[in-house]
Amino acid sequence: MRKAIEKNARILALFAIACTATVGLVNELTKGKIARQEQAQLLKTLHDIIDPEIVNNDLYQSCLLVTDELLGNNEPHTVYLAKHDEKPVAAAITTTAPDGYSGNIELIVALNYDGTVSGVRTLKHQETPGLGDKVEIKKSDWITSFTDKLVTADNQHQWAVSKDGGMFDQFTGATITPRAVVKAVKNTALYFQQHKAELFSRTDSCRENL
Amino acid sequence: MTQEVATPELADSEPADNELQAQRAALKSEYKELAWQGLWKNNPGLVQLLGLCPLLAVTATVTNALGLGLATLLVLIGSNATVSLIRHWVPKEIRIPIFVLIIAAFVTCVQLLMNAFTYGLYQALGIFLPLIVTNCAIIGRAEAYASKNPLAQASFDGLMMGIGFMLILVVLGAIREVLGQGTLFDGIELLLGDWASGLRIQVLNLDNQFLLAILPPGAFIAMGFLIAIKNAIDSKIAERQPKPEEKAIERVRVNFDAS
Amino acid sequence: MAFWIASSPHNHTQNQTSKLMRLVIYATIPGIFAQWYFFGWGNLIHIGLAVATALVAEFFVLSLREQPISKQLFDGSAILTAVLLGICLPALAPWWITVLGSLFAIAIVKQLYGGLGHNPFNPAMAAYVMLLVSFPVQMTSWQPPLSLMSVELDFLNTLTTILTGFTSEGYSVEQLRTHIDGYTMATPLDSLKNDIGQGLTVAESITKPVFGQHFSLGWEWVNAGFLLGGLFLLARKAIPLATPLSFLASILVCSFIAYSINPDGNASTMFHWLSGATMLGAFFILTDPVSGATSTKGRIVFGALAGFLVFIIRKFGGYPDAVAFAVLLCNMAAPLIDQYTRPRTYGHSVKQP
Repeated sequence: MRKAIEKNARILALFAIACTATVGLVNELTKGKIARQEQAQLLKTLHDIIDPEIVNNDLYQSCLLVTDELLGNNEPHTVYLAKHDEKPVAAAITTTAPDGYSGNIELIVALNYDGTVSGVRTLKHQETPGLGDKVEIKKSDWITSFTDKLVTADNQHQWAVSKDGGMFDQFTGATITPRAVVKAVKNTALYFQQHKAELFSRTDSCRENL
Repeated sequence: MTQEVATPELADSEPADNELQAQRAALKSEYKELAWQGLWKNNPGLVQLLGLCPLLAVTATVTNALGLGLATLLVLIGSNATVSLIRHWVPKEIRIPIFVLIIAAFVTCVQLLMNAFTYGLYQALGIFLPLIVTNCAIIGRAEAYASKNPLAQASFDGLMMGIGFMLILVVLGAIREVLGQGTLFDGIELLLGDWASGLRIQVLNLDNQFLLAILPPGAFIAMGFLIAIKNAIDSKIAERQPKPEEKAIERVRVNFDAS
Repeated sequence: MAFWIASSPHNHTQNQTSKLMRLVIYATIPGIFAQWYFFGWGNLIHIGLAVATALVAEFFVLSLREQPISKQLFDGSAILTAVLLGICLPALAPWWITVLGSLFAIAIVKQLYGGLGHNPFNPAMAAYVMLLVSFPVQMTSWQPPLSLMSVELDFLNTLTTILTGFTSEGYSVEQLRTHIDGYTMATPLDSLKNDIGQGLTVAESITKPVFGQHFSLGWEWVNAGFLLGGLFLLARKAIPLATPLSFLASILVCSFIAYSINPDGNASTMFHWLSGATMLGAFFILTDPVSGATSTKGRIVFGALAGFLVFIIRKFGGYPDAVAFAVLLCNMAAPLIDQYTRPRTYGHSVKQP
């Protein structure tokens, strides 16, 4: 009996080791490729909202972690800094719209150094299919209506959906979702205007292995 | 199924020519039976109803269905082959944990490979890729067939079961994609590379997406119809075939009445 | 109609089914009248369309299933389903919404499960949910009460809007829904949810015109109409008292608790009772003998569960009204409820072996 248990344990251990070794080997072989893929994916999103022509630094590496009330909540948000020959050009800031119809909407907002919005994309959301999900670029180009808009001291009331007297259309059937997104983009733009000098002077990075 | 005939050990003992032929014939009919079982009669999706969770969750488009189908197919072949190879060394008591280990290792490898080579699809499939581990069709085949049969048959069984499962996934994906967004092969370039983006077909031009087809309830309804169609075809076949047998049954019934 | 006596056990004969169904259809008249008075011809047109489609669908499926057609076709159950569906649809929804919904209700929800008496779900509500989930834009484009609209909507205008999406003068549904002040009008339930999301209190929100003078303009009278019809059905003993009573009581308890904890963020009980489809659900849908619970105790549990779900979904859900979702969930729970509330058979001990 005892012997059988010992034998079985040995066999089991042997298989565990063999399986782990296989997985480890495959992991080792694919690690570099996966990292490159992730990086490429991120860069693709960033290049969608920041014109790659005007940027010549490594966007993937030049990122910061920031925390601010204006970015929706107190979680750390990532900021990607775009520079051209070390001169600040634009920044892409991940932000959270906390008041979506069902939960948080995660956005990435790119802003030119002069404060105008260069592009916005939705990263994650749980809005109602067919109504609120038009914030996705795949479903509707509504999200591009932010491009080239600027928040100034005297046009803040225009940063709202048209139902509230603002300049952004809500889409048919949903008001809460676009309202939340507009507010988040506006707050992010304000945050950037207040902090842009400080952001571009920081030297730390969110990547540990620089 | 008679397996003793097909084991390779027997082939070494220089059998007579006709015996060899009989073996070959048996092997051939075994393969035929395996294909028939996997693709139609015992289809893991339609008949065994195994792996329903990924089946229903990811079949919103053909691309996703094909991706998950291929992943499952790879895992099935791999695990069936491995289980068959080691079947003589694994004691009965610990076979299940070992099967699970093997399947988990294969799933993880496939997951890593898909992450590396089809990144977009990997993102689209999300949690359902690692969940292949819990697809009962895989451990079911390992336990029911691969652990008792030689390598070639076991791998073939994995291939057929995998294709059977993948076919259902793709058919379901096609139905839901056409109804839901009026396209076919949308996003196929995520799986096959950029050259494939030309494969995308616009079947219908819909003003309004028929969202039900894309959402999970649509999968249940479409699946129900698929099973119904399969049963209808089966009963049609059964209706047509066993005419001579029926007479025999009648005679039995007469006897029964008389007694 | 042929009169025939069935041997025992005495099942309901076809005769009684159609009589009961006719009674229920008559009982919807006050509610439909209120709908017509406040919201115009839209729902009447939808009811007509739905009934026609339902009869055609029933005819086809019955002949496919090789069932006796004339007897089942006019037993009234298909017509009742279609009437209920027509009542629930937004008045200005396009015609194909009704046709699709009616087809789905009859062909899939009712006949595929085996026809009348075998459907686990209420066909009208299942079709409504299917439509809402599939076409949320059309299904949430509710028409505001006529008195708040800037465009005169007569029968012809409503008909052309349903068929083409535009009135004969060329106004779109979206324009029709726009208030004179330039904002799109939602239902009271929806407006309240929006406003609370915006940080307004209930007291501030209900000063808007869609809420009228009492709870919700138009909707309260529609609900009152269905309440009246429901009381008529109760008086004729066509429906059991337990279901609507426990449903309404459950909403009362839930909304009262929520209201007393936070009166700024929760609407009053009367608002919950008299807006959306509460009364229709209580008297006409939850009382469906096929998809509901069977014993009195079971019906009490069934109604209470539905009321609780309505409150929860209205408060936290992603879609505007909750009755349809609550009904479907309860339909699913009905067999389980029946299992645990099976009445004791006479002569048997309380404890089942």
